[in-house]
Amino acid sequence: MQMQFHYVSRLLVTVPWIAISVACGPIAPDRPSEATLIYLAEDVPAGLDYDGPAAALPTSQTGMVNLMEPLIGYAYGDENEDGVALPDFETFAPRLSESWRYNEARRSWVFKLREGVFSCAGNELTADDVVYTFARGKSVSGAIPVGWFLASTAGVSGFDASVFEDEAARVIGDAVRRVDRYTVEIRVSGRNALFLPIMTTYGMLIFDSKETQKHATDDDPWAHDYVNNVTAPGFGPYCLERWAKNDMFVMRANENYYRGAPALKRVVIKRIPQSSNRFILVKSGEADMAERLTPREFSALADVDGARVAGVVGNETLFLHMNFKTPPFDNLKFREAIARALPTEKIIRNGYFGEARAWRGVTPSTYPGFVDALDEDYYDPDAARRLLAEAGFPEGEGLRGFQESLRLAYVAEKEATLGPIATMLQTALREIGVPVELDPIPLTQYGDRQLVKKDLPFALNDQEKPVVVDAGYALSLFFASPDAGGINNMVNVADPSVDAAALAAASLPAGEERAARIADGQRRLAEIVAWAPVVEYRTQWAVRDHVSGLTWHPDNAVRFADLEIAR
Amino acid sequence: MSVAVHDAPAAGDGLLKIGAIIVGLMTFLAIFGPVIAPYDPTAATDTVSTPPPPLIDWPRLFIAQFDPEIPAPHWFGVDAAGLDVFSRTISAPRTDLLIALTATAFSFVIGVTLGALAGFFRHWSTELLMRASDILQSFPVFISAMILVALAGRSGVNIVLAMTLLYSPIFIRLTRAEVMSLRNRGFVEAARATGVSERNIVFRYVLPNALGPAAAQASVTIGFAILLTAGLSFVGAGVRPPTPEWGLMIANGASQIVLGDWWPSLFPGAAISITVFGFASLGHALERRYGR
Amino acid sequence: MMGRFIIRRLAVGGIQLFVLIIAVFLLIRLLPADPVARFVGLNASPEAYAAAKSNLGLDQSIPKQLGDFLGVTGGDGLLQGSLGRSWVTGDAVAAEVARALPVTLELLTYSFLLACIIGVPLGVLGAVRPGGAADKGTLVFGLFAGSQPEFSWAIMFIFVFFVVLGIAPGPLGRLSPLTDPPTAITGFMTIDGLLAGRPGVTAEAVRYLSLPVLTQAFILSGPIIKMVRQNMAEALQADFVLYARAAGLPERQVALSALHAAFAPSMTLIGVLYGFMLGGAVLIESVFSLGGIGQYAIRSILAFDYPAIQGVVLIISAISLIVYLLIDILHAALDPRAAL
Repeated sequence: MQMQFHYVSRLLVTVPWIAISVACGPIAPDRPSEATLIYLAEDVPAGLDYDGPAAALPTSQTGMVNLMEPLIGYAYGDENEDGVALPDFETFAPRLSESWRYNEARRSWVFKLREGVFSCAGNELTADDVVYTFARGKSVSGAIPVGWFLASTAGVSGFDASVFEDEAARVIGDAVRRVDRYTVEIRVSGRNALFLPIMTTYGMLIFDSKETQKHATDDDPWAHDYVNNVTAPGFGPYCLERWAKNDMFVMRANENYYRGAPALKRVVIKRIPQSSNRFILVKSGEADMAERLTPREFSALADVDGARVAGVVGNETLFLHMNFKTPPFDNLKFREAIARALPTEKIIRNGYFGEARAWRGVTPSTYPGFVDALDEDYYDPDAARRLLAEAGFPEGEGLRGFQESLRLAYVAEKEATLGPIATMLQTALREIGVPVELDPIPLTQYGDRQLVKKDLPFALNDQEKPVVVDAGYALSLFFASPDAGGINNMVNVADPSVDAAALAAASLPAGEERAARIADGQRRLAEIVAWAPVVEYRTQWAVRDHVSGLTWHPDNAVRFADLEIAR
Repeated sequence: MSVAVHDAPAAGDGLLKIGAIIVGLMTFLAIFGPVIAPYDPTAATDTVSTPPPPLIDWPRLFIAQFDPEIPAPHWFGVDAAGLDVFSRTISAPRTDLLIALTATAFSFVIGVTLGALAGFFRHWSTELLMRASDILQSFPVFISAMILVALAGRSGVNIVLAMTLLYSPIFIRLTRAEVMSLRNRGFVEAARATGVSERNIVFRYVLPNALGPAAAQASVTIGFAILLTAGLSFVGAGVRPPTPEWGLMIANGASQIVLGDWWPSLFPGAAISITVFGFASLGHALERRYGR
Repeated sequence: MMGRFIIRRLAVGGIQLFVLIIAVFLLIRLLPADPVARFVGLNASPEAYAAAKSNLGLDQSIPKQLGDFLGVTGGDGLLQGSLGRSWVTGDAVAAEVARALPVTLELLTYSFLLACIIGVPLGVLGAVRPGGAADKGTLVFGLFAGSQPEFSWAIMFIFVFFVVLGIAPGPLGRLSPLTDPPTAITGFMTIDGLLAGRPGVTAEAVRYLSLPVLTQAFILSGPIIKMVRQNMAEALQADFVLYARAAGLPERQVALSALHAAFAPSMTLIGVLYGFMLGGAVLIESVFSLGGIGQYAIRSILAFDYPAIQGVVLIISAISLIVYLLIDILHAALDPRAAL
């Protein structure tokens, strides 16, 4: 009621419209009374299939993880200073599976499923659902084989490159097998350290096989169209109520949810593309929560009555990408000169308003296995000038010919956040004599050049989050040469010792030897300046005061079932 | 198209003066702006999003400037990237004015030449030219300019080319009408009788007498060209950041306005307002003097 | 005679529109942009690129593409009333334009009303006493308002009325994004709210439109004042006014009959301006995220969405043409000499 009065009083002072307000009476937005949360995002899920074309979009993952469940998750431990509960990456917790063990003799993992878990469609979870999920991944029938890739990285038997050549290899066989109604066995090539971390990710969420199969067609036997466009049948805390692409995504609590029906009965994810508009709506109290404001907006919202900002230094980082194949970045001294000229402290202060910290490695510092590979005083413009001279470009002499390469690209859609930072970096680099220009390009084009063509010479990147929580995984993903599995090796590093470390990370079981090899790999990457790390920034949410219970997950998607709302 | 309407003479002269002063000032800034700017217009300073000093402090701060030890204040504040808004505002004419002047000059030269020919010679090719310029004039200006620049690549050169294409028809039409009205005047007949070639008649005798309306239009067109340049940058189809350019500055400021930061967009906005008004006033005054 | 005039105007307009469309079609294909790269997105291989190119029809020769667009090659095209499908959304361009167009029309209609309410009296005032303070004032105001960057004023209005005073809503669109919009019937939010029996929505729509309309009306008042002033001044010098004065009619009545005479030419110019503004409201729509035809154009151009670009240019030009035509007819009806 409070809000309505406020609304009316505002209306009354809007003099020209008095007549209408009198004629129409009080205006109340159509807000339901039950525990509904309005969440504002840049976008609503574009597709719910993790093997689909929209899987990489952050909000698509928000949809998936709230509708579906993984076999296991991380245990939740302490809350941080903002009241956000953080995962303990050393401890796995039961989810759909209540226990699991490794069988050395059979080289397999055995998962015992929880009994009495029901999906939104009312089907009970059984071993068949897990087998179906893996079989679907191995079919590589979707737009992007995410499920196959993760299972393959986890070392699951038969998930190898042969699926792309041989149709017979796409059948699941006995690699993942139903033992009994509630037990499933997954055969692996060995006790791979990445197996359990991978099982927690969005690419391993379990499908409700009965419901999904109902929507299979001859052309689309794995129901990709249905999952991409209608809903993802799963055992998660929420069921999809309404989905208008590019507009809103409404979820209703799954009253059968095995961990108890969620406190929030209804979640409305609304697309508000401009961050300043998300800011206005949370500030005014019309919305309960918003993601991805600019650092400045978060900072301003922290002072607003009734709202707060909650965040965590999780796994979001900012770095400069310099392509090893493009001169002058093929020159190690030159890369190092650039890396040492980046004014980290200034960017933390003026770009992130203190909500970031210096990053001195190539994987998120919160991940197990991270190595702090750079000195405290790495930022040193004088050293940078010296290195520039040693690289053959004293005071930047001779760099005029590289104008094309020295264009610092960044995603144009992120102008409000990255624009100011790019300008600060440009200024710092010009001061040592490197004539940098800025080149904001659209996201799709940026993605294409980074991931496919791998021909972006120079870029400012704040969007690489290794989905599997492990330094070794990050190492292989971003830095191994393509033959060694580096599928997102955007700067074209090709270094035998990095490849060896990546191989060790992928094949060795967790333990000291693996940790040592991964640490060596990270030090080597720092030595050859594979990336020029700048900061780790906080992942933040703007939250109205009545919302509590936030938890952080490595996919940065909010788990609405964890939230509570007090009106 | 219509008979001249007499303005109050005083208002007309006043406008001429105001227009001339503004145009003079902006031309000065286009040449010397980046030189006299206290800060590098593209270099981030150490602070961000800082408002300008209160007006009451300005005299004191100004006097303090005679001491070379004291750093220049940020007269217009600092934007979200740490750029000095004052330095950018006074450096921007070099971009905005240069683009607008070049585009108008090209349109003027092309339009006046073609217009004179079309007005003097009746020929199928000049008819075709007029039909083509009809079509060009019916293009929605802003959207067409945006199509040309976005698809051809964001650069000053492409903006100039797009505007030349879109603005030439106005000059063609104006000059043609004027030349047609002069074609049968006595001095033309006299020149013809003394054996002057047709080409010389057009360009020596007719054209110089027909330039008035086009010249007045040129001043107005420069103003519109400034608005268009700024508008294109505002929607992300103009020059690249962090070029000091008014439209780009306003666009960057726009995302800060709901946070209460008015200075990154107010000052470049006011600069455009004043400049375009200046060119429009000058154009209006010229139109009255040499006009239709 | 009137009929022949209309037919002649229609024919000329139709030809002009046709040529314009072909020109735009060719123009966007001659410019050095690579739309395919924009659309293959995150997972493109050379094969995917080729597939996307063929999907978009860009692997065809330009005459073939033009034929497809026009609908002379068998499929649905312009001749069948189809503007093709957007490459971005996959929806019919005609339907998308039909959604966006009323937004712009609503903004412009209210803005023109407001601008005329302000501009006509001011213009008349300026013309009635040439040389007076009012004349000078309106002249300068008209020149000033007519040469303003609307986007920068829009931002300042947001600052003053939303951030500082808090009496106008923020630049969130036509309604609060959290309000469920009424079913589009007319496409005018202010009217659809009433038709849906939800006056609250209409009131909200009025609130959300207040700042865009204020900004647009301010900018429009410049040229309107200038036109009215000029036409009125001309009318006041006409013979019938001299006669009326000589006959001793009161000055008020003289001004009134002059106003009547100035009405037709002013209408013409206002109509021309309305047609022109269809593509000129782009920046205000963009600042207030209204989602009108101008914003649709921006989105399509930045995304290299060729069918949408063609559609937008076609529709805007066609509407301006129709507006001009209607005005000419109106003009001819009022003053038959114009049709000669």
